[in-house]
Amino acid sequence: MPLEFFLLLAAALFCIGIYGLITSRNAVRVLMSVELLLNSVNINLVAFSNFLDRQNINGQVFTVFVITVAAAEAAVGLAIILAIYRNRDTVDMEQFNLLKW
Amino acid sequence: MTQFLLHTVWLIPCYAFVGAIASGLWSPALIRQTGPRPAGYLNLLMTLLAFVHSLSVFVQVWQQPAEQWSVSWLQVAGLDLTLSLEISAVTVGATLLVTGLNLLAQTYAIGYLEMDWGWSRFFAMLALFEAGMCSLVLCNSLFFAYIVLEILTLGTYLIVGTWYNQSLVVTGARDAFLTKRVGDLFLLMGVLAIYPLAGTWDFDQLGQWAATAQVNPTVATLVGLALLAGPMGKCAQFPLHLWLDEAMEGPIPSTVLRNSVVVATGAWVLIKLEPVLALSPVVLTAMITIGAITAVGGTLIAIAQIDIKRALSYSVSTFMGLVFIAVGTGQTEAALLLVLSHAIAQALLVMSTGSIVLNSITQDLTQLGGLWRRRPISGISYLVGVAGLIGFPPLGGFWALLELADGLWATQPALIAVLLLVNGLTAFSMTREFGLIFAGSPSQMTERSPENFWLVTLPMMVLLGFTLHLPLILQSLGLLPHWADLNKDMALLLLWSSVTGIGIGAVVYVGHSIPKPIQLPWKRLQDLFAFDLYTPQLYRASIVGVVDKASRLTDWFDRQVVDGVVNFVGWVSLFSGQALKYSNSGQGQFYILTIAVGLTTIALSLGWSFVWPYLLTP
Repeated sequence: MPLEFFLLLAAALFCIGIYGLITSRNAVRVLMSVELLLNSVNINLVAFSNFLDRQNINGQVFTVFVITVAAAEAAVGLAIILAIYRNRDTVDMEQFNLLKW
Repeated sequence: MTQFLLHTVWLIPCYAFVGAIASGLWSPALIRQTGPRPAGYLNLLMTLLAFVHSLSVFVQVWQQPAEQWSVSWLQVAGLDLTLSLEISAVTVGATLLVTGLNLLAQTYAIGYLEMDWGWSRFFAMLALFEAGMCSLVLCNSLFFAYIVLEILTLGTYLIVGTWYNQSLVVTGARDAFLTKRVGDLFLLMGVLAIYPLAGTWDFDQLGQWAATAQVNPTVATLVGLALLAGPMGKCAQFPLHLWLDEAMEGPIPSTVLRNSVVVATGAWVLIKLEPVLALSPVVLTAMITIGAITAVGGTLIAIAQIDIKRALSYSVSTFMGLVFIAVGTGQTEAALLLVLSHAIAQALLVMSTGSIVLNSITQDLTQLGGLWRRRPISGISYLVGVAGLIGFPPLGGFWALLELADGLWATQPALIAVLLLVNGLTAFSMTREFGLIFAGSPSQMTERSPENFWLVTLPMMVLLGFTLHLPLILQSLGLLPHWADLNKDMALLLLWSSVTGIGIGAVVYVGHSIPKPIQLPWKRLQDLFAFDLYTPQLYRASIVGVVDKASRLTDWFDRQVVDGVVNFVGWVSLFSGQALKYSNSGQGQFYILTIAVGLTTIALSLGWSFVWPYLLTP
């Protein structure tokens, strides 16, 4: 199992995340796509750590931080969504286009 | 004292100039209480001073060699503009003629403009003309002659436009200015082109240069034609003659001056330039052709006019055409004599007709008639003017025409036919006018037409006397040929042509046998001459039309294309701003897409060299 396979898997997951990020109409699904992105990044970090930095495993330390921050970010994100939902009574991303031209 | 007068001959133009400036004080805007009359009196006084000064200097310089004086006007790198004056019998004699005629015209104007408020402007312009013409004849430099001619062109514009609330006056002044200006501009081209060739603008040095000059014939022709174009416009020669017809909208006293001497300014420059023009035979031929066409055309048109002033104005063109012929055949003496005799006779004719117009109101020849018994002085003045103008011995015009014909006999006999024809036709035209004004029975407009008061009649009478005495004066100055040298055949031919013209004119217009108004069997021909060969339409179709179209096109091009290109740039920026703002869709996901696309593009462009080989391999 060479490194490239992990990287390709991570890249594929990242692309799926991006796709979900820009096509989802539900705001919660957008947050879920962001989690996919972060997970693909984590796979990258762990893979690099495993193949290139077995001694210090800096990548794994990074990953722990990323998971932590991702949890916090998801919490804030959901709070924002909730705040918007309370005002506008919807989580449809197509309805959030007030700040245009 | 006499020496002092001789040395201050340059004052002659200055008197009138002072008068011109001082007249401004009596303009209605400045003096609101006491009226403009002192402006006229002051100018009359100034002209009298100039006349007396000219006369006293003329006595001294008669039969003396010409003196040249020069004053440096401007010296810049490589160019020395020297104002040179020539004090000779001819130049001082010309100032005498100018100031004398202006003296009479101003006296006439004081009478004629009795009911007019614009004396300040009018007399200032008359004085400007006098100053301009005196400087023109005294100055001996082509360059300064050009300057004066341009000032006089502006003066013509202003004096024709005296009564500017009349629409025909405004168009007439416009045409007078533009037509003369076109000629002047060609003259300027010639003036500028002759300096590298001759290295001088002094008339006498130009003459010396021309005597030995070896110039490329094409260059000589082109320069000569340009120098010819200025006098052509000034002297109202075909095809630049329409302005004189329209300039008849100006006040009659100014017409006196213009018809007699102002148009002769062009002839003066032409006479002075004769040696240079003679360098090219083409120019001489052109000059003779233009002169002959104008002379014949002018008389034919004059015959067909029904306006007194216009009939006379075309005869001015005619006689200036004869001057062109004289200069074209190298007879400057005859040309000068012709200018002199024409000036006096023409001034008398204009004064006489002006005196008729002043209290018969109409200028229409068909509405006048039967004035001989009640207007004997005007009538006699008119007759003497006619006799002095055409070849009618022993008056002045006869001697000038005789000298011209005498010179033509040796070189160009064909032109003698033109001369005799023009003389006869002018005699006919003048007799026609006489018949229509003075003979026949009074019409409605002339039933009560008294002779004018002394201010109008006196200058006319003085000029009448002068016209009658002109041959005696010429004889005492030794300017007339001796009886033995007289070409008697030619004299008889001239006399016969005049008598024939007068005779036919008298039979047709003074007699009662032919019903008037006369219709030629060829109506179109009559209209052609009556409407001046349709020159206005010709101008409008050719030059005016082209310039008008071209300027409209240029204007359109400027507004649409030049401005349009610049405005298009602004419009494109505006439009693109308006259109591109829609890229801010307000959708967060769209912004993320933009970021993703941007990052991918940057990554691809940076990693292109790495990716490309993988894409090529199958």
